[in-house]
Amino acid sequence: MQTIKLKLKSEVTSGVAKIPVEVDSLTPDKLFGKTEAEIKAVRVWWGNREENTGDLFDVSVDGTASSADDVKLVLDGDLSRVKRIGDGMKAGEIEANGDVDMHCGAMMNGGKITVTGNADCWAGREMHGGELIIDGDAAANLCAMYRGEMTGMTGGKVTVGGNADECVGQYMGGGEIVIKGNARMLAGLNMHGGKIVIEGDAVMPGADMTSGEITVKGTVQDMMPSFKLEGTESIDGAEYKKYSGDLAMTAKKAKGTLYVK
Amino acid sequence: MGEVLIKNGVVYDPLNGVKGEKKDICIRDGKVVADVKNPKVIDAEGRVVMPGGVDIHSHIAGGKVNSGRLFRPEDGRKGVEAKTKVCRMQSGYSVPNTFATGYRYARMGYTFVMEAAMPPLAARHTHEELVDIPILDNAALPLLDNNWMTMEYVNSGDMDLLAAYMAWMIKATKGFGVKIVNPGGTEMWGWGKNCSLNDTVPTFDVTPAEIMKGLAEANEKFDMPHSIHVHTNMLGHPGNFEITKETYDLVKDIKPAKDRQVMHTTHTQFHSYGGTNWGDFESKADVIADYINQNDHATIDIGSIILGDTTTMTADGPMEYSLYQLTGRKWTNHDVELETGSGITPFLYSGKSPVNTIQWAIGQELALLVKDPWKLALTTDHPNAGPFIGYPIIISMLMSKKRRDESAEDMHKVIYDRAIYPSIDREYSLYEIAIITRGMAAKALGLHEHGKGHLGVGADGDVAIYDMSPEETDAGKIQKAFLNTKYTIKGGQIVVKDGEVVATPAGKTYFVTPECDDKLTDEMVVKLKDKFDRYYSVTYNNYAVQDAYVPNPYEIKAPWRS
Repeated sequence: MQTIKLKLKSEVTSGVAKIPVEVDSLTPDKLFGKTEAEIKAVRVWWGNREENTGDLFDVSVDGTASSADDVKLVLDGDLSRVKRIGDGMKAGEIEANGDVDMHCGAMMNGGKITVTGNADCWAGREMHGGELIIDGDAAANLCAMYRGEMTGMTGGKVTVGGNADECVGQYMGGGEIVIKGNARMLAGLNMHGGKIVIEGDAVMPGADMTSGEITVKGTVQDMMPSFKLEGTESIDGAEYKKYSGDLAMTAKKAKGTLYVK
Repeated sequence: MGEVLIKNGVVYDPLNGVKGEKKDICIRDGKVVADVKNPKVIDAEGRVVMPGGVDIHSHIAGGKVNSGRLFRPEDGRKGVEAKTKVCRMQSGYSVPNTFATGYRYARMGYTFVMEAAMPPLAARHTHEELVDIPILDNAALPLLDNNWMTMEYVNSGDMDLLAAYMAWMIKATKGFGVKIVNPGGTEMWGWGKNCSLNDTVPTFDVTPAEIMKGLAEANEKFDMPHSIHVHTNMLGHPGNFEITKETYDLVKDIKPAKDRQVMHTTHTQFHSYGGTNWGDFESKADVIADYINQNDHATIDIGSIILGDTTTMTADGPMEYSLYQLTGRKWTNHDVELETGSGITPFLYSGKSPVNTIQWAIGQELALLVKDPWKLALTTDHPNAGPFIGYPIIISMLMSKKRRDESAEDMHKVIYDRAIYPSIDREYSLYEIAIITRGMAAKALGLHEHGKGHLGVGADGDVAIYDMSPEETDAGKIQKAFLNTKYTIKGGQIVVKDGEVVATPAGKTYFVTPECDDKLTDEMVVKLKDKFDRYYSVTYNNYAVQDAYVPNPYEIKAPWRS
């Protein structure tokens, strides 16, 4: 097991503008096999400048790894302007301590990311596999598609401990999302596969969905009128109303399922 | 500017009848000359040398191209390249940004591109983008067929006044010629309808056939370098080949002002469809090709399909709406006051779809069945049938029966029943490729008289050197060579070397000034001013594009023929 600790230097985000740092080049699979000196030399974007990791982060490496799965990356410091944490990650583990900026876990293929604080927009965007755990809240477009694309998340599992903002899992085609708190408007918008569980409340879930499954354990506000009640079903001992939809997409395409308490 | 000597190249220069001869090309001050004294020498070492490519029909600038970019951020993700010391940032595949458009065309050896549809009211926007496209010389064809003024003159039969209006609009927009897109159909679309060739457009009591005939006659009243440039009615509808043929017949008896066609029909692939619906849809490329073979007054460009995702965009609003209804993907639509309209929707051409397979076959069939290559140009109607970056694929297909056979196997099996494709053995020679990518396009546009598309003395020093031997038969290598030149030389300056852009000079904009009698113009302007006062959102005085929008002008005067 190898632990790579990267602590963002306070002067990086102490400026008035708080210039963002993009760390898609710092994933366990990309850092596997590198020495401390080599890790310090990996290039990362800071605003429109490319810098050495060692110039922006305090780097320490502990232990050795036999594969990328054995590499654990720990990110500390003020991460609120650190974008693309674990972007495209294939294996290993990332622990981000604090709030993180946009695109955390985007295009992720494997491994595990844990965020102890909140995640900004587009976390888990177009995720294909692996696991993303956000202890706090997730901002809008969690696990959605890139603007204009017709497929969002296709695999993997995402758990949000707090609430999620609008458009969770937009154009979702596969995988699983669990929101422990509430989800704001349009969770599962244009969804065509996969599964979303919202343990709290939801607003207009499942609009334009053509396949996949959404379960809302709390209350639904502004239920879409284009869903059809199919009956009731018992899940984990509780009674749920089962709806099919979204009929706004024509009856032929309305293959989605929505469970509401 | 200095001198350049291109030695040891095997030259294909169809407009001068040069069929793969070892020949030196001398350039001084940007023009081809007979000899040079102290040149920079480029040793072509037996490679294929052609004049700079000329694209007769492509959508590269203007309102709808830009709308396409805006509403397809997912297309902008593709083809992203960071800026270099020479190049600016590039993005996009089917709707590349202006910089990428210039660089990619230049890398394929092209030096002139015609923007094929300029809404007159959006002429400023179009010219602003053309200025932003590096390297390429360019021109734009204003849309003149669904204009209320045009339809009113066609209705009243005032052909001289129609000619005066046409001349005024081409001058006002700094345009190059007359573009016609689904005549009458875009006006009908304003009422939620479409129309075919002989239907009456009730609001103006004219038929599309009358509009086209009228504009063809008006065009030939001047020494216009280009004929009318026509996107015929019912694009993309099964069974439309009859309409296409009838459209050609309309202008058969009109005498051209110059030694050229009277009508150029564009993306003819979309207009060569048989069958009555998408179920019995079939190729009628043979019928269209036969017509072109037997008649000399019409030319075509093929509008060949490139498989994959693209962005369709045209002034043919009703067609885009039908396409949107087929796919259910996003769609946008635009109305250009009393002139024209447009629609945009993304589309995926798939080899697994029987319809797309037949469409794919038709484009190439047209090229293979029209016997005289001087009657057709290579296009993909960029980006409607696919992005221009796919030209090398089509070139390699036309040159290799083997490649076509292999490709047919990957397509839907319907290709063996409802297309002519598998039975055609013809293979294009490099000379014929040079015709359909340069010589013919330059001639049909009348630009051969202005130094484009050939390498005779006095021509522009635009040269493409492809990294292949004239004997090359491997389709893959041919495709690779045509995608990235060894050298592209533009006006005597090396702009591409070993497939990399090394210089980005600004291109020239060619525009035509039809010279109309003042009395006629004055009479027409009375009516035109009334239209501005009543209907336009801009005034007559603010309408015409100022000279400042065309910083590198090349004016072609087209005198009135008495």
